[in-house]
Amino acid sequence: MTLLRVAELQEERAHRLEREFQAVLDAAVDAVVLFDHEGRIELLNHAGERMFGYNEQEVIGLKVNILLPEPYRSQHEDYLRHYIEAGEPRIIGIGRELIAKRRDGSEFSAELAVGRVQGTDPPRFVGFIRDITVRRNAEEALRRSEAQLTIAQEIANLGNYVVHFDGKYEDYWSPHLYRVLGRRYGEPYIAVYEYLEPMVHPADRARWQQARGELDASGRQMDIEYRVIHPDGSLRYVHHLAQTTRAADGRPLRQVGTLHDITDRRRAEDEARQMQDRIAHFGRISTMGEMAAGIAHEVNQPLTAIATYAQACQRLIAQADASKEEVETALNHIGTQALRAGEVIRRLRTFVKNREVRRELIEANRLLEDVLTLAQTDARHNGVRMLLEPAPQAPLVQADAVQIQQVVLNLVRNSIDAMVEVPEARREIVLRTLVDSEGDVEFMVADRGVGVDATTMAELFNPFFTTKPGGTGLGLSISRSIVRAHGGKLWCGANPGGGARFFFTLPAVPASAGS
Amino acid sequence: MRGPSNLARPTIFVVDDDAAVRDALKLLLRSVGHAVETFGSAQEFLDAYGEDRAGCLVLDIRMPGMSGLELQQKLNEKHSILPIIFITGHGDVPMAVEAMQAGAVDFIQKPFRDQDLIDRINQALEKDSSNRAALGERNDIRRRLETLTPREREVLDLVVHGKANKVIAGDLKLSQRTVEIHRARVMEKMQASSLAHLVRMVLEVGQA
Repeated sequence: MTLLRVAELQEERAHRLEREFQAVLDAAVDAVVLFDHEGRIELLNHAGERMFGYNEQEVIGLKVNILLPEPYRSQHEDYLRHYIEAGEPRIIGIGRELIAKRRDGSEFSAELAVGRVQGTDPPRFVGFIRDITVRRNAEEALRRSEAQLTIAQEIANLGNYVVHFDGKYEDYWSPHLYRVLGRRYGEPYIAVYEYLEPMVHPADRARWQQARGELDASGRQMDIEYRVIHPDGSLRYVHHLAQTTRAADGRPLRQVGTLHDITDRRRAEDEARQMQDRIAHFGRISTMGEMAAGIAHEVNQPLTAIATYAQACQRLIAQADASKEEVETALNHIGTQALRAGEVIRRLRTFVKNREVRRELIEANRLLEDVLTLAQTDARHNGVRMLLEPAPQAPLVQADAVQIQQVVLNLVRNSIDAMVEVPEARREIVLRTLVDSEGDVEFMVADRGVGVDATTMAELFNPFFTTKPGGTGLGLSISRSIVRAHGGKLWCGANPGGGARFFFTLPAVPASAGS
Repeated sequence: MRGPSNLARPTIFVVDDDAAVRDALKLLLRSVGHAVETFGSAQEFLDAYGEDRAGCLVLDIRMPGMSGLELQQKLNEKHSILPIIFITGHGDVPMAVEAMQAGAVDFIQKPFRDQDLIDRINQALEKDSSNRAALGERNDIRRRLETLTPREREVLDLVVHGKANKVIAGDLKLSQRTVEIHRARVMEKMQASSLAHLVRMVLEVGQA
């Protein structure tokens, strides 16, 4: 190989390198600018021309800091000088974010990296400038939406979390979750379930653990309300929703959940319910007041029988020829009558007692039978017959038995009062249950009384409206609110052939739920 | 025990819709030696009771169907003299007052002391018995009065009005002797032991 040939080859290689370098520069997405130790531009690539709006020729020889606005412009000059004087390592900066300036004066966010070209003296530098406007905007948008989410969570009093199972990502507590769980934002991270479990109210914990177990084990969503006790001792109600995301092989990847502080809502509901229960209790007491004469009579009868039997026994025993059987029979009767009086009192106590309201599954027909026994005395005294027409399906309802009895008893009382003026032969109340076309249970109390005229009908359910002397006017209004609280409705209509019929419905419970 | 002849043995009639109360009363009253008949309703009693039967009625004031008060009214319409003791519950005082005004002899509140009831029943029985005795005596007097001739009746009227035989003779334009004979016949027929007795008997039946 001749020297010329070598020189030719070297030249060819240098050309090739330069072409390749040019191609790299042209294809680069980032702006590339070469400048000398005084900051004078030696090269600006196509991307740089597009980014800044200059022709390469226009800027060659100009200071590189024309590409920056103040204060970055002066800072950059200081950087360069400092670097050259101090002789610091070759990389001047990586990924410094700053504002760049176009030829037309407009500015944009940019990321700047500057490196020193090796083996030149005085030193030369290459700068890479990346337009990060889009990224910046996206970041800004993200920050804004995070801020909005935080505000939204504050307003809703709701926090969320993410638990990762593969350990690749950090678990997440939203800022407001700290508040919902009684912690201060920024306190050390604790795994959410480990933190939560001891906070759950002891009475709710088993339920919580079950829901959590199901969340882990099955595809079922967690959706429960429970109470938590905050570190400061205060009691809060939360609604906890969570679900598990799984890989194709069923392995859990993460759980995402929200905790909603519903204390205010629950307290309002509790107060409303307590108020309603108090009103209902008041209604029962006033109904009992109206029935007082009949009730006194009902207790008095067995007491009279007991006293009389006992006194008769004493007399019989005092007689020489006393019949043992007669005394025994009388003593038996005394026992029976005492139980009878006790039963009356027990029923009354159950009815009037201010007790916790409990919804249970009950047979609708049983409710009517119980009312029948409660109202029988009153009805008998007023010469009223009561007939029961129970639904053959024996439907179940989810209800507070005492409150529903109260509604029926109130309707029966009204019916009795409505029939005082009609001939005794007509005085009849029909109590009926049936399953309506929607599957709900319909109760009916029908009488043959004076009926309800149109004006009265319009006002019938208003509180304090009454047609009875001495009536409170609350019976029907209380009854309606009880029925509504049970998810049903109460209405009235005319009885074909005279009198009034009152109906109410309670949502049916599928028979299977009763098992 | 039944029939017109039991005037000597009065019966306590108990009407109460409560079977236990009825049964207990029956036992109590039998234990003190009374004859007792019980009825579950006012109508049952009305259907069974014969007016001539002596005794007294122990009546529950509040009953379905015909109430105690309504039964009392029906008996009054029939001029029954059977004394009624009402048994009442608490708070039935207005009804009890009404019953007393309509002629009930007494009322007693449930539950009651046996002796109270027995005392009241004994009083009622005494009243019934004297009522019936008085009724019997009046019937006797009326029967005796019916045996008098019209003339004797005229003489009786004037005698009980305090007129002397001479005056009567003048009024009736009879001889004094004839008046004396009529008067002796009247005393004899009326079984009067004295003039005062005769006057009392006539006042008793309201014929004066």
